[in-house]
Amino acid sequence: MQTNILYRPSQSLAQVWLQPGESVMAETGAMVGMTPNVTMQTQAGGVGKGLMRLLGGESFFRNTFTAQGGNGEVLFAPPLCGDMAVLECGMQQWVMQSSAFVASSPTIEVQTQRGGFKGLFSGAGLFTLATQGQGQVIVGAFGALEQVNVDGSMIIDTGHLVAWQSTLQYTVGKSGGGWIASFLSGEGLVCHFQGQGVVYLQSRNASEYGQAVGAMLPAREA
Amino acid sequence: MRNEIRHNPDFGVIQVTFDQPGEQVVTEAGAMVARDNAIQMQTNLQGGLGAALKRKMLGGESLFQNTFTATAPGQTLWIAPAPEGSVQVIELQPGMEIFLQSGAYLASTPGVQLDTKWQGAKGFFAGGLFLLRAHGQGLLWFATYGGCHTVDVGQQYPGYICDNTHLVAFSQGLNYQVQRLGGMKSLFLSGEGVVCSFQGQGRLWVQTRNPSSLANFLHPFRPVKSNRS
Repeated sequence: MQTNILYRPSQSLAQVWLQPGESVMAETGAMVGMTPNVTMQTQAGGVGKGLMRLLGGESFFRNTFTAQGGNGEVLFAPPLCGDMAVLECGMQQWVMQSSAFVASSPTIEVQTQRGGFKGLFSGAGLFTLATQGQGQVIVGAFGALEQVNVDGSMIIDTGHLVAWQSTLQYTVGKSGGGWIASFLSGEGLVCHFQGQGVVYLQSRNASEYGQAVGAMLPAREA
Repeated sequence: MRNEIRHNPDFGVIQVTFDQPGEQVVTEAGAMVARDNAIQMQTNLQGGLGAALKRKMLGGESLFQNTFTATAPGQTLWIAPAPEGSVQVIELQPGMEIFLQSGAYLASTPGVQLDTKWQGAKGFFAGGLFLLRAHGQGLLWFATYGGCHTVDVGQQYPGYICDNTHLVAFSQGLNYQVQRLGGMKSLFLSGEGVVCSFQGQGRLWVQTRNPSSLANFLHPFRPVKSNRS
C-alpha cells in the first residue's frame, strides 16, 4: 500500500495504490473513487468490535477494499475540509481520536480503546483508537495539521487532538485551576501529555464549529 | 479574451479580461463578484423559457443567466461560485461534449450550448444524477466543492468508479453505469451510496469533498424543536 496525499492542506485527497491482492480498510463513506478491479466488502468484524466502534463515535462497519488481478487504486477523503497524514506503524505505534481515522493497511489492527473514565469524562468524544502491528494508517484532520514534539509535558485541548505516539502518557482533565474556572474558560477538557513523542494537532475543533454554525440552522424534529 | 483562475483549490475565482468590445461571457445568476462599470449586463432566459425551465428543473441550474458584454478593451469581470472549492476551465471544440453534474455549471462564452440530457431511468434512480450537456465552441467554467481531481480513463486507467456525490463532470467518449458497491449487506451498511462506473476514453473530474457530508455533520448540531404538549 502506497499513499499519496493530494490537494493539501484543506481539500486533501488520499490516493492509495494497492498491489494485486492487497487491501485497505476504510471508514464507511470515505471512498471517493477507485479502479474497477477493486472490490469492496463491508464488515463489522464481530458484534463486539462493531459495538465498541459505535461507542467510539465511528461507524459500526468498516469497508475493506481489495485489488483483484492487478494493481488497484482507491481515493479516500474525510467528510470535512482539512489535511491528512500517513502515519507509519511498526517501530512506533499511534493512538488517535476516533473521528480522525480514514483508512489503514490490513496488517495493522486498529482497536477502539475502552475510554473508561477517561473517555466518558472527556465528553468531547475522546474515544481513541490504538494501532498494533506493522503498516500505515491515514488520519484526517479538521483544518490544518500541526506536528508538535512533546518533550516533558504539554496540555492540548481534546477537540484539537488528532493522533499521538503511544510512547506518550496522557490524562484527560480540566484546563484551569478549578472545575468552574475550567468550564467558564471555554477550554473544556484538555489532555495532559507526559513523556516524549509526536502529537498531531488540528487547527480547528469540529464540535466547536458544529456548535457555532449548527445553532443558526432551523430547528430539527426531535 | 484572457482568463485567469486564481486561489484554487480553496477559493477559486475567475478573472476575465476582455480584449475587444462585444466579447461576451454568460454566467450563472449570482456568480458575478465584480466588473468594470462599463461592462453591460443583461439577464435572460437562455434558450427561451422552455430550455431554461428544463435546465432549472432537471439540471439544478438557476432559471436565469446573466450575459456580460464588454464595451471597451481591457475591461475585467470576476466570477466565483457560491461554495468554497476550486474552479476549472475547459476549451470546448466542435465535436466535444462535456457532461456536468447538476449545479456545477458556472459560466461560459456564447458559443457554448447547454442542454439537459435525459439520463433515462438510470439517471433517475441515481439520486439526482441529472446532467447538463455542454457542447459547441468556446470556454466553459465549472466549480467543484473542494479540490478537483482528474482521472484520464482509457489512458492512465482502463476504467474508473466514482462516488456519485463526488462526480462533477466527464467528457464524451465515456460510458457509465450506475451501480451499488458490494453485496446486499453493503447496500445499507457500507455508507457508500451509488457509484458511477466509467468505461471508454475520456476525462473524469472528481471533487474531493461533497456538501452533503458537511450537511450531515452539521445536522446533529441543529437546535431541536420543542414538543408542543
